[in-house]
Amino acid sequence: MRNTWIIAKRELQERLRQRGFWAMLLLGPLLVLLLLGLFLKAADQGKTDINVLIVDPGQLLEHRVLSQQEKSVHYYFIDDYLEINEFRDAKAYQQFDVMLELNEKVLNNKKVFVFFRDQASLDTRMQLKFQVERRMEELLAAQFTKLSVEAFRSIKQGFIFDFRDVYDPKNEAKDAQLWAGFAIGSFVFLFIGIFGMGILRATVREKSNRIVEVLISAVEPQQLMRGKLVGIGLAALLQFSAWIFLLVCGFWIFRSFVFPDLLDPSHWQGMQALHINPLSDLVFEDLPYGWILLHFVPFFLATYFFYGALFSVIGARSTAESDGQQFVIPLLLLLTFSVASGIVYILYPASTFSELLRYLPFSSAMIAMIDLCKGLTLSQYANLLLSFVVLMASSFVLLRLAARSYRKHILTF
Amino acid sequence: MIRIESLSKSFQQQLVLDAVSMHIPAGQIFGLLGPNGAGKTTLIRIINQMLPANDGQIYLNGQALQKKHLSEIGYLPEERGLYKNMRVGEQLLFFAQLRGFSRPDALLKVRYWLDRFDIRDWEHKRLAALSKGMAQKIQFIAALVHDPSILILDEPLSGFDPVNVDLIMNEMKALKAQGKTIILSTHNMKSVDEICDRAALLHQGKKIAEDSVWNLRDAHDKGQIIVRFKGHMLGFANALWTDFELLEQHEISEGRFECVLGIRGQQRVNDLMRALQDKVEVERIEKRLPSMQEVFIDSISGKEGNHA
Repeated sequence: MRNTWIIAKRELQERLRQRGFWAMLLLGPLLVLLLLGLFLKAADQGKTDINVLIVDPGQLLEHRVLSQQEKSVHYYFIDDYLEINEFRDAKAYQQFDVMLELNEKVLNNKKVFVFFRDQASLDTRMQLKFQVERRMEELLAAQFTKLSVEAFRSIKQGFIFDFRDVYDPKNEAKDAQLWAGFAIGSFVFLFIGIFGMGILRATVREKSNRIVEVLISAVEPQQLMRGKLVGIGLAALLQFSAWIFLLVCGFWIFRSFVFPDLLDPSHWQGMQALHINPLSDLVFEDLPYGWILLHFVPFFLATYFFYGALFSVIGARSTAESDGQQFVIPLLLLLTFSVASGIVYILYPASTFSELLRYLPFSSAMIAMIDLCKGLTLSQYANLLLSFVVLMASSFVLLRLAARSYRKHILTF
Repeated sequence: MIRIESLSKSFQQQLVLDAVSMHIPAGQIFGLLGPNGAGKTTLIRIINQMLPANDGQIYLNGQALQKKHLSEIGYLPEERGLYKNMRVGEQLLFFAQLRGFSRPDALLKVRYWLDRFDIRDWEHKRLAALSKGMAQKIQFIAALVHDPSILILDEPLSGFDPVNVDLIMNEMKALKAQGKTIILSTHNMKSVDEICDRAALLHQGKKIAEDSVWNLRDAHDKGQIIVRFKGHMLGFANALWTDFELLEQHEISEGRFECVLGIRGQQRVNDLMRALQDKVEVERIEKRLPSMQEVFIDSISGKEGNHA
């Protein structure tokens, strides 16, 4: 164990000395943040001229919103209940982009459902929310208090505007969460690919310059392999942790300075702007980061050791780096399969193959990340734990087999 | 003391070592000789426990060789290899720690050896910045930085200039004086003549000779004597009569000759001295033993002749 740690420490130090390591550590998160910024910006694009049908069976708004309403949002009223399916399918309602539902409970639960056909721009959605909310404040102040509207506004409890897709009114699809899980899973395999190649190169280099002969005279080949895996794995984990830290900092900067509208009500005349941009919802609100991170580390490490063992064996069997690059092609295909398995799982979650993917050690980390982002029931969580046990056991067995092969081939030049 | 008993090793049905037995006494320099492909490196790797033997056993001080003995062995492989981007000091520290030293003890040892080779100012240099010869010195230190009682040196002199060859040879003698056992695998027969106490000769996986260096040379004695004298060549030749054969003669200066004689029958050097006593002025006379180079060639060609 001591020798394994000495070798691991050397491998870690070697990577920490490489400029490429630090470049990737800093530039990687910056690139992710840049892309995320572009996506956030893109998510604010959408229709700017919308027709809103306000379903107001209690006639709370008295067919009026605000007098200074913007021309880009056109309001129409219906004084009866309207089913969401009817709004979605009936020809008479196709001219409306949005259905805003004010049922009789709205004054108590302060919850307003807004169903949209196409995503409206952030600006338009903000206007809609602002104008409807102001009108309701007027009514509430007049009906239930003797306060002025301004005084009431300063003490009132805000309304929650729940924006939903008319085609997914119960918000069941959770597509965004699934793809977020896919993105995290893809990062796992991206890191394993990059650092796995590091294991392969380090092994081949030690063979080709014959340091391995000195090393093997002092330590067991298995210790050498394990040390290399642990050292490079620590470097990968360190880089991943740094990415998470930098991304969290980046998110904070985004919310505070770059996209303040996503958080700060003062930018929209006192309105709560939460739950407006679905991507910002996803990034800042919906993902259970702590929960994901808690499971991410063990899944990442177990998958890393699983693939790392394969990379080590290829390195031990190769006599030159070019050899290794040839042998590694099937392994890279396997990594690609692991990433593709995430897409299969999202598109066909109920298929037998998807169920199988959950337990295959090649793909279980990807499926786990998707499941964790989506949210799990107790029985689904039990399946996730079981898939982790299978992954651990597979990694353990593969490490032992790899060590035997490593021992056999490391001294063949 | 290392005792090797009937050690055999084969790779994919090719026998590389065939029931090799040897006795390597403690505190001596033992030459492991043989042409390329004789099985020397395989034997060294088995002693280093890098490879398992198919058959046979190795004993170290009476105990069967085990993993725990690795810390007592230092190894300099023929193909040198170090981490090019590591600094000299940390590289030596790394190897010493792998052999069981704590970091502070390893640091003391590293500095001792850097001082001993007068290269302390290389401690913070990267290997990539050193010449081949300088890197060879670091590799040599890496093999003995953990103070092993047994050193296995595979071609330790290759790549060194004459000054550094002398340095390494002296270092080996000093290590022997400290009681270390050294197994020296080399093609440099001059070094075997000069520093080895005992040697074994491997050929095609078999041991064909093993003894002290002097006994090996004696065994290949061709009965030749070197004589240097002042006087007349004719008088010298007459004095030889029929008991000695004049094989070579060189006039090394005016009236001074050096000759190589072959002995006929049961004659000895003493008989030659008596015969020359009144004929020429003898300056030097000695029995000409074959060098290890000749022993090596004789043994190998003899074996190959037998095979033919």
